[in-house]
Order: sequence, then structure tokens, then C-alpha cells
Amino acid sequence: MSAVAIPSRAGSLRTLASTDHKRIAGSACVIAFVFFLAGGLLALLMRSQLAADGGVVSQNAYNELFTMHGSTMVYLVIVPVALAVGLYFVPLQVGAAEIAGPRVALAGFWLYVLGGVCMWSGFLTSGGAASASWWGFDPLSDSVHSPGGGMDLWIFGVMLVTLGQILWGGCILATALRRRAPGMTLMRMPVFTWTMVATCTMTVFGFPALILALGLLWAQRHLGGVLTGGAGAVDYQALFWFYGHPVVYVMFFPFVGMVGEIIATFSARRFFGYSAFIVALLIFSGLSMTVWAHHMFTFGVLSNKYFALTSTALVVPAGIEYFDFLATIWRGSLRFTTAFLFALGFLVQFLIGGLTGIILASPPLDYGLNMSYFVVAHFHYTIFAGSAFGLFGGIYYWFPKITGVMLRERLGKLNFWLMVIGANLTFFPMFFLGAEGMVRRVARYPASSGWQGLNILSTVGSVVIALSVLVFAVNVVISLRRRRPAGDDPWGAHTLEWATSSPPPRHNFVALPPIRSYAPLLDLREAAERHSATEVSVTAAGVLG
Amino acid sequence: MPNTKHAYEHVWGIYLPIAIVVFAIVVGTLVVLLGVGARRSRPDRRSKALPLEIGYAFVLACVAAFLVWVTFRAETPIDRLVARPGLRIKVIAAQWSWRFIYSNGVQVADIDTWHPTPAYVPTGTEIEFSGTSEDVIHGFFLPELHYQRQVLPGYTTHFDLIFEKPGLYQGECSVLCGEDHSEMHFAVEAVSPAPFQEWLAREGTRIREGSSAQTAGATARGPST
Repeated sequence: MSAVAIPSRAGSLRTLASTDHKRIAGSACVIAFVFFLAGGLLALLMRSQLAADGGVVSQNAYNELFTMHGSTMVYLVIVPVALAVGLYFVPLQVGAAEIAGPRVALAGFWLYVLGGVCMWSGFLTSGGAASASWWGFDPLSDSVHSPGGGMDLWIFGVMLVTLGQILWGGCILATALRRRAPGMTLMRMPVFTWTMVATCTMTVFGFPALILALGLLWAQRHLGGVLTGGAGAVDYQALFWFYGHPVVYVMFFPFVGMVGEIIATFSARRFFGYSAFIVALLIFSGLSMTVWAHHMFTFGVLSNKYFALTSTALVVPAGIEYFDFLATIWRGSLRFTTAFLFALGFLVQFLIGGLTGIILASPPLDYGLNMSYFVVAHFHYTIFAGSAFGLFGGIYYWFPKITGVMLRERLGKLNFWLMVIGANLTFFPMFFLGAEGMVRRVARYPASSGWQGLNILSTVGSVVIALSVLVFAVNVVISLRRRRPAGDDPWGAHTLEWATSSPPPRHNFVALPPIRSYAPLLDLREAAERHSATEVSVTAAGVLG
Repeated sequence: MPNTKHAYEHVWGIYLPIAIVVFAIVVGTLVVLLGVGARRSRPDRRSKALPLEIGYAFVLACVAAFLVWVTFRAETPIDRLVARPGLRIKVIAAQWSWRFIYSNGVQVADIDTWHPTPAYVPTGTEIEFSGTSEDVIHGFFLPELHYQRQVLPGYTTHFDLIFEKPGLYQGECSVLCGEDHSEMHFAVEAVSPAPFQEWLAREGTRIREGSSAQTAGATARGPST
């Protein structure tokens, strides 16, 4: 390995040049957390602006704030984290010693870092960072309406990270399909691994459309004549949303998988309805490629009814997933750990995001709600109050495996409750603002509208979220300083990553247990229970005899 | 009748209660299960009930089909253009204001976008709007009618609206369009057809007589009702 040649004092550099999927994923998560803090800071600035009804920053600066907030959270936080968690755990869950294509995975990591730096360096240009929203749509993003280097840096940044994400998706998919341990059939892969298979399939097939769209946008800016007039504007958005809708589920499925693992573990019960769940997942990802133009209902140029039909059809697979979650909890023996609480938070809050999504999938309603704060509330309920809660659940669940030490439960619960209060206080008022007609991306609203009260409420909520994140950071620091060793399997979990040391060795496993179902460790415990039960009855029979 | 307000309120009145009921069922079930599960020491071993799930999926599909049916029925009339609208108005958006042009050449152009000059329309009349943009995408949005349509450069989009009640309708640009996106307001004032026709004819005469033709609408006095 080339990393060996690097002098030993450059330990961090060795980490960054390692082809160990666990190190790559770990570094990516740390960097994503830094971007999460940066994107969150932008959100706090936006909330201050709206609480004060203008006056904190100019409209141009405000446009940069929400553009970079959205771009950071989507391209640099949720999507990379979703894939990085897969990069870490899919090889472990399928009993592989290594990721497929370790150097490709490392290249993906560097593309991510470079792209992120590239996008953020827009703030250093004289014209400021990109300001044409996270979907950078033409013609607002062309050279006439968005001149300057910030927009170009954004285009290159997004292209680089997206390319990196496609590479990661390919590696994870290949690992799940080609590197499984003996006995690990497809229908014995853990729920989380299955959600990653669906995620990476969408990544590999959907994400190239974004690179194409951005390539055309770049050509339009520098050569011209590519995206012209109304057709150009429609083409760009159709390409963008062909990426943009699958990406919504890339930001959702992995967290569904995490929540599934957490619920099964802390209900001490095999995941319910495994095969129905996987069929639902595959239908879900298939449908995800057919719904993109529900983002374009108000263009009035595409077949709204078709997209309303496919979008509403998502009710069926989503409903099956919820059924399986509830049925796993049903007749379980529950342990209310922080991870489990976050999983429950995901279930309840994502439901609000999902149900309002069905409302938005109806064109007669969307005509009145599109581009309003109703939409902002809806997707923050899915991505923040949903996926980010799943992610925090995943962190509390897997932190012991990754670091070898437990996170503090009491601080964890404080972290959870603050985040519940913060998220709902921030995003629920936005449903009312949107239904009353407050449109998104405005730096000021008419004083006569009476929207300031709800906006202040929302801003207070965002401060509570910030507090919650601070509690999380404190928890991580304390837990790493005063270590409480986790052992191999602190939770009594079901899947193979818990059958090795914490953290796992370079090549993941010393020995693998037999794999006869999607919960091999639960199989072992149940077999041991049966065994001791037999012994007891034999002894009892002996005594009585 | 292409009444967007009625369509919205009708569909909303069906979707929202269903959403609330579904939310209550799921969360209620969850709370009960959590209460019971917290006291149980031995978990159940069953892990599938395929016939039950298939039946449940069928129920979900029926609910989805019902929602789609409600949506299609409401959408068809508001997407369709009537053959003979009572009035045609051209809407032209440009960074960062709106212009309304009536078929006899009368124009209403907004200068001060925080207190826009209203464009007059007759109540209870099917009005066909033809929208376009001179630069980037804008969004013609009338929250009270629960209706918006994106207007694109180099393309004309047509849609019908009805203003049932007289009064002032505030409008805004719903699509991010650059520096002054927040301030790209407009206003439409609905008055009864008779005073409207009178106003339109009077303004039309003013233009033909050439009295300050370019700012005719902006400086025009409203109809006398």
C-alpha cells in the first residue's frame, strides 16, 4: 500500500490516503459534519433575516445564503453521509473483507472534498457565491443573469461531488452484489444493506442526468446557444429533476434502513415482513424514476396527470414500509435507548412530510402551494425531521462500533428532545405561512401580511436545533475523552457488523458466524436459548425421575 | 367553470382530513404498541404475515386510486382553456415587475412594486391570461385564487381564471428571479363587468387620442364603483 511510504508523523495524511472503506467513510462523515455546521450557520442567518423581516442582509446576500444552504445540505451533507454510512457498513453487513474497488472509493472521497471546497470558494470571488438556488436553474443561472465566478465554481463543485457519489454508489452496489460471504444470499442481506442497494441503483442511474444538465449549463454560460428560450428552461429542469427526484429517495432510503435495524434491535425482534419490505423498496425506487415532473406542475407544459398518478402511487410502498416498522415494534420487548427514540422521531415526523407530499402531488393543490413555505415545511419534515433524525439514530446506534466507545445516553436524550422541539417549532409554522401564500426565497415580506409572529417562532426553533447540535458535539467529545468501552455487541443486535471487534480490524472479520437468515446473530442467540431450555428440561426430568 | 379557488378548496377538503386521520391512526397505533412493548419481557417470534400485508397493500392502492380520481376530476376543468373567454389579458414579466396588456391596447404597468397599481378585471368572467417573460422564469401567483403559473422567456403560456368576488387580489412572483425577487408584487382588482367595460373603453379612448399613451394604465383612475 502506498500509504506505508508516507512518514509516520503524517498520521492524518495516512488516514486520508487509506483505501480502507472504514477510514474513507469515517473521514467523509467528519467532513460532512463540518459542512453540516456551515450549512446550519447559513440557515441561522436566514432565520434572523426573516424574524427581523429584512434588514440583516441584502436580497443578493440572502440569495447566496439559501442557495449555499440548500446546496451544502443536499450535495455535501445528506447525500454523502447516506452513501458514506453505506460505504462503512455494507461490507461489514454482508461479511466482506473489503469494499469492491477501494481505490475508486478513495477517488470518490477526494472528488467530494474538492467539490465541496470548490463550491464554497465562491464566497471568495468578487461577485459572491452562487445565488440561483440549489437547482441552479436556467436562465437565471446563465451568464447574463448570474455573471461571475461563484456560479461557475458552483457548477464545477456540484459536478465533482456528484461524480464522486456515482463512484461510491458503484462500489457499494458491487460489494453487495459480488462480495457477499458464503451463505449470505441476496434474501439474507440486512435491511440496511437492501436500502443501500436501492439507493445506489438510483445513484448510478439518476445522478448522471445532473452532470449532463450542469455540463449543458456550463456550455450555455460560456458558449451559448445550448439552452435557449422556454425550451431551454424546460429542458434543464426536466434533466435536473430526473436527478432531483431519485436524489430525494437517496436522502431517504438509507435512513429507512438505519431505522429498520434500530427498531428490530431495540424491539429484540426479527424485522417483520422482510420480503414484503424489499419488494416495496424496489417498487419505490422504480417509481422514483417516474415522478420527476411533479416539481414542474406549474409549468403547464408537461403531462401533470401522469406525474400526479405516479407520485400518488408512492403511497403503496411507503405504507408497506410503515406497516413493517409498526409490526416489528408490535409484540417486541422494547428498550428506549437514544437510538430508538430517534428512530421513533423519524417515524412520526417523516409521516408529516410524507402526508403533505401526497397533498403536493395533487396538481390543483400544488397550483396554490408550489414555491410557497408549505413546500419548504414539507421537505424539511422529510429531510430534516425525517432523514436527519434517522441519521442521528444511526449515529447513536453505530458510534460504539466505529469508535469502540459508547455515547452518553443521558446527553443523547437531551439531544433528542431538544431536536424534536426545535425541528417542530422551526418547520411546523411554515405550513401555515405557505398556506397563507408566503413564497419561498424572499428576503422580505409585506409588513401588512402579519407573518412576522410565525417567522419569529420558526427562528426560535432554529436556535433550539442549534442547541441540540451543540449537545451532540459535547456528547461526542466527552464520550471520546472519558471512554466507556463498547465491546463487540453492546445492543444485542442482529447483523454481522456486531460479530467483529469495535472498531473492526483492517479486513473486518477474524471469523464469521454461520449465516442462515437476515439476522444471523439473533439466530445464534435463539439457538443458545433453545439449547439451554432443552438442558433445563433434561435436568428437570432427571430430578423428577 | 375553471374556478381554481373552488377546485383547491374541494380537493383540500378531502385530502387534509384523510391525512389527519392517517396520521392519527399511525401515531395512535405506535403509542399503544410502545406502551405494551415497554412492559413485555419476551418478544414474539413471528416475523411475517404476507396475506395480511397483501390485503393491506390493496387497501392502500384503493385509497391512492380514490385520491387520484378526486385530483383528476378537479384538475380537468382548471387545466382546460374555454373556447370563448370573456376577456383576454397579456401578462408580461420582467425583472422585477409585471405588465398587463388588454386586447384594446390598454396597459397597466407597475412602477412601485410594494404598492402596485392594480390591473382591473371583471368579476364572474372567464379571463384568458397569456403569460410570458422577457428574461428569466417568473411565477404569476395569486394566493387568494390558489393559483400560480410559471412564465418562461420565449414561450407563451395560457391559462384561465375567474374572479368571483369583487375586491383587491394581491399577487406575487413565486419563482426566484434574482435581486428583487421579494419585491416583485402585483395586484388585480375585480369590479363588476359594467364599470369594468366603462373603464376599459375610457382608457382605450385615451390611448387612441394619444394622451400620454405610454403610461396610460399606470396613471389611470379606477372605474367608478
